[in-house]
Amino acid sequence: MKTLIPLIKKEILQIVRDPSTIIIAFILPFISMLIYMYGISLDSVHVTIGIKNDNPNMDTASLVSTFDKNQYISTVIIDNEKKMASAILRGNVHGCVVIPNDFCTRLSRGEAADLQLVTDGAETNTANYIYSYTISIANQWLATSPYAGKAKTNIITADIRNWYNPTLDSHHFILPGSIAVTMTFIGILLTALVVAREWERGTMESLLSTRVKAIHIVLAKYIPYYFVAMVSMIFNFVMTVFVFDIPFRGNFLILFFVSSLFVFDLLGVGLTISTYYKNQFLASMLSMGIGFMPALMLSGLLFPINSMPEIFQWLTYLLPPRYFSTFILSEFLAGTVPELVIFNSIFLTVIGGLLFGLVYYLTPSRLEK
Amino acid sequence: MIASLRRILALIKKEFIMIWLDPKSRGVIIATPLLQLFIFANTVTMEVKNIDLAILDLDRTVESRELISHFEGSDHFREFSYFENEQSFRDAIDIQAVQLGLKIKDGFGRDVQAKIPTEVLIVADGRSTNTAALAAGYANLIIANYSATVSPVTGSAVNIVVRNWFNPNLEYQWFILTIIVCMLSVVMTLILTSLSIARERELGTFDQLVVSPLSSAEILIGKTIPPLIIALGITVLMTGAVTTIYTVPFHGSLLLLLFSTLIALTSIIGVGLFISSICKTQQQAMLSVMTFMAPITLTAGYISPIEDMPVFLQYLTYANPMRWYVASTKGLFLKGIAYDMVLQNCYPLIIIAIITLTLAAWTFTLKRE
Amino acid sequence: MEKIVIEHLTKKFGDTIAIDDLNLTIEPGKITGLIGADGAGKTTLLRLIIGLIRADAGHISVLGINPDQDKDKLTPLIGYMPQKFGLYEDLTVLENLTLHADLKDVPHDFGEMLKFTTLAPFQDRMAGALSGGMKQKLGLACALLGKPKFLVLDEPSVGVDPISRRDLMRMVRALINPETTIIWSTAYLDEAHSFDTAVVLDKGKVIYQGAPHSLAPTSQKFESKVIELMGGYIPHPSEVAANYQVEPFAGDYVVEADNLVKKYGNFYAIKDNTFQIKRGEIFGLLGPNGAGKSTSFKIMCGLAKPTSGTSRIMGVDILEEPERARSHLGYMAQKFSLYGALTVRQNLDFFAAIYGIDRNTRSQRVSEIIRIFELENVADQTAEELPLGFKQRLSMAAALIHNPSVLFLDEPTSGVDVLSRREFWNHIIGLAKKGVTILVTTHFMDEAEYCDRISLFYHGETIAIGTPAELKAQAGAATMEEAFINLIKASDNENSDSPH
Repeated sequence: MKTLIPLIKKEILQIVRDPSTIIIAFILPFISMLIYMYGISLDSVHVTIGIKNDNPNMDTASLVSTFDKNQYISTVIIDNEKKMASAILRGNVHGCVVIPNDFCTRLSRGEAADLQLVTDGAETNTANYIYSYTISIANQWLATSPYAGKAKTNIITADIRNWYNPTLDSHHFILPGSIAVTMTFIGILLTALVVAREWERGTMESLLSTRVKAIHIVLAKYIPYYFVAMVSMIFNFVMTVFVFDIPFRGNFLILFFVSSLFVFDLLGVGLTISTYYKNQFLASMLSMGIGFMPALMLSGLLFPINSMPEIFQWLTYLLPPRYFSTFILSEFLAGTVPELVIFNSIFLTVIGGLLFGLVYYLTPSRLEK
Repeated sequence: MIASLRRILALIKKEFIMIWLDPKSRGVIIATPLLQLFIFANTVTMEVKNIDLAILDLDRTVESRELISHFEGSDHFREFSYFENEQSFRDAIDIQAVQLGLKIKDGFGRDVQAKIPTEVLIVADGRSTNTAALAAGYANLIIANYSATVSPVTGSAVNIVVRNWFNPNLEYQWFILTIIVCMLSVVMTLILTSLSIARERELGTFDQLVVSPLSSAEILIGKTIPPLIIALGITVLMTGAVTTIYTVPFHGSLLLLLFSTLIALTSIIGVGLFISSICKTQQQAMLSVMTFMAPITLTAGYISPIEDMPVFLQYLTYANPMRWYVASTKGLFLKGIAYDMVLQNCYPLIIIAIITLTLAAWTFTLKRE
Repeated sequence: MEKIVIEHLTKKFGDTIAIDDLNLTIEPGKITGLIGADGAGKTTLLRLIIGLIRADAGHISVLGINPDQDKDKLTPLIGYMPQKFGLYEDLTVLENLTLHADLKDVPHDFGEMLKFTTLAPFQDRMAGALSGGMKQKLGLACALLGKPKFLVLDEPSVGVDPISRRDLMRMVRALINPETTIIWSTAYLDEAHSFDTAVVLDKGKVIYQGAPHSLAPTSQKFESKVIELMGGYIPHPSEVAANYQVEPFAGDYVVEADNLVKKYGNFYAIKDNTFQIKRGEIFGLLGPNGAGKSTSFKIMCGLAKPTSGTSRIMGVDILEEPERARSHLGYMAQKFSLYGALTVRQNLDFFAAIYGIDRNTRSQRVSEIIRIFELENVADQTAEELPLGFKQRLSMAAALIHNPSVLFLDEPTSGVDVLSRREFWNHIIGLAKKGVTILVTTHFMDEAEYCDRISLFYHGETIAIGTPAELKAQAGAATMEEAFINLIKASDNENSDSPH
């Protein structure tokens, strides 16, 4: 202890002196959260649709106005194919609805009428939205149109319920998720350079000549940065719950506990990189390259893990963000689910322990291994 | 002029030796973007596959089993767990043993036989907001199909006939990989430029450069070109990988891609130089790079369209180089846009480049004193 | 008390043999000076002795402990000052001391230490903002904390002024127990001469061990004896100077400093510095650590901006046209500031190129200077791997590669072995004869004798200026070292009522 405490004090002084720590721990999360909250919405995307009406009459006019009245859609009337092609190519419209000239005739005959939709597939996300908007608007129109009586109905319908987030409000999902993302950032980047720095500046030689042991060096890096990361975690949490009013149905102590484990893992990743490379330049490149981005992509937060090729699904089991993002989303939206807490905690602990062992193994007690 | 050119060349050569000839450094520089690309390419999908389904069949009739077999026949679903009672069904969803629940109420079979409209319950896990709706959508479709087989109906209906231009099957990979190419080359450039000056400052070699006949402008140019060349090279490499291995189409001109990349990266280099001139250490430089990267990637318009952002944020994105770069790259890959549209995206980039480079040159000379 | 016994010690780095079947016994309770040529293996030996690196063969016993196996038992007993001093530059002086005191579990009683090191006024300053010599003192202070049983000092006095060197020596002797064993590697032979034992290393082997006084009665003679042991120095004309071309200059003074002032807040780093240097003159800037010498250098080559005043190189104002002024200049910084990741040859090639030497003559020029500075064997090693003395040679070579007419050398010989120092000065004098104007600082007072004129600089002000003979006469001293000390003391007495 007598060796450890002064080392920790030293580390804290260095942290306090360096404004970049504050930037990454508080300013970065703050800016990202603002963007997640106000800049990003996945629920409903506003689109601009061109409409080319080849069957102009009262009914199709009402169809066009149904599109127009939808709050997520702006419409542009397009006269001919050429203009349509150019508008889509230039991105002036995200897609175009073409009402064919036999549209009403077919409907009045009690047949299915085609409504053509051309989308800009380069905007893949938006194209999906346009498709589903068009289906629902067309059906909505059909139900109130003169052809409603002739419309077909299914006898079996699905009653879809979204548990835990009934309206599928994306902010309830994105903001807790962003805590996982931001923490991954902070945890890895904070520590990725701190050991390499000691090698580059020659202070490692001086430390190794004192009674400092490898374990002290390791702990003196873990402990202060654990506190920085946890303070940042609490800051993130407070912002999410109290400033942005995202409901939190779980237990704060449990969240704190599992976050601790997660931070333990992340510091381990950063320190492993730093201890292995002993070079700040390489450590930076690498912590960005393999530490951060893939960890984020494979966390399941952005893309469903189940849809990945099997080998990648297995790979995700090695990555701490996977466990933490599952946990934090559930803790926020569903409240504490003991099985999930225990399962994720065990894995986080095991990974964290392995990384700690690796960092300890890589930390030499001499100038050469 | 020739003397100046020679000095710049010397500096460029030195930079190359330092970042390129060191095998460790070279490995990190080539391997990390390609590794990331590889991981992204394999994991990024918005399609939901391999859904595990919880089934609570309280009806147990031929009809309910038939419906279930329709689910079994779909390739979106992977495992099917049957539950006896409401509680265990709920638990399975709670602990995320399954992603979707199907509950068939007692009397379903009777209703179907009697052609009485009836409902089945689909429970989606709102904690995975991004996949819940998609998974429920698949289920809905399966149910509608089954409905059509037990009770074929005819009548007026609107068929949406969709054609997705530029990306007929709305391959999410195509969309995201083009963006990833932009993101990686930007990150790469930013790290290389900002760290290279910060490193010289931290290790004291910067003074020696300043004392030499190199002018500020020459140092800036010499520091700019190597990252630019390396990033351009990596961009070409990534473009090659994306188009051959992952069969993303490239319809535009490679020359235009290089041109717009060059312009975009120049504006990014201004930012990198600016960061490096205000940072004393590599740690600060790296953390600043991340603090800059997070908002510009989030607001580049691919996670959520720019039109959906609050107006003030929309104006801010005009200053986001990533926005324009992504637009022209995506256009070149998927739409094969011509030079006039590439230029439209380059004008803002040129303005941004002029501003960032001026700012960088200004802080740089200020700092030299 | 246990001896330190080293038997058949061998250490290789790749193909290079750093320590070659070395045998050595060091008596307890004595100060042993470790001297030797650059790259003789001094640092490697010290690192092996305290277990920072492991031997390939052989056996070491330190205080009865084998550092190869029981490093953890040994470290609490030793104080070690590495060559890079290992200070945290973003911590203050006091915080650095506190850290080391806590690591050694000794009370925070730094009064005596701060007084000895004259660091007391700077205790709240960041270690990174200290002058080179001050850092050195702080590093030594950290190593001395807790009165270690065994003190290992790797060139603690590099870049330390004569007064402070005496202080350091006194400090070491006062702050340790009589039974403490000390190994002190040094390039100052007067220092080594005052120790109990001297060990001379050459190519990883001990070539002499014994009492310095039994080798030679005085430190001057000791120096000649050591030079003899190391192979001897034969005076010869400088090869650098042989083909040197100096640009013509018609003005009176090639280098001028006009009332330079540098203020940090309320603190004057330089109060008023004015001097002129004629063509072909060697102008020495002497003074204690922290007097403002390096700051003056930085201002004069445009690395720092003066609060007021200016300087000119060959008539060109450094503030108005920094780039043109510097085009005539070769600058060797105090701290090694070449690229550690590049090889010796790549470094030289780079500097040759940015100074506009064209491709055809460049490789020839680089090879030539590598040969002159005897860097052939390390030409393809990265600079960061080089021993300190080689780094200095490389820096000097880089400063000279473009045939500058003006040379600013900030402690060029610090950390350089005695033979190479002679060679350095041989070059400097040869160049001056060719008409190169040289501004140089040094802490070796014997070197000061080579200067044509000397400015003695203290607390940011010139307190004496003149030829070495004039200064000695003014101070009533026989040697430059004595003159230095007397003049500084006289200045202190004058200002005793207004302490710094």
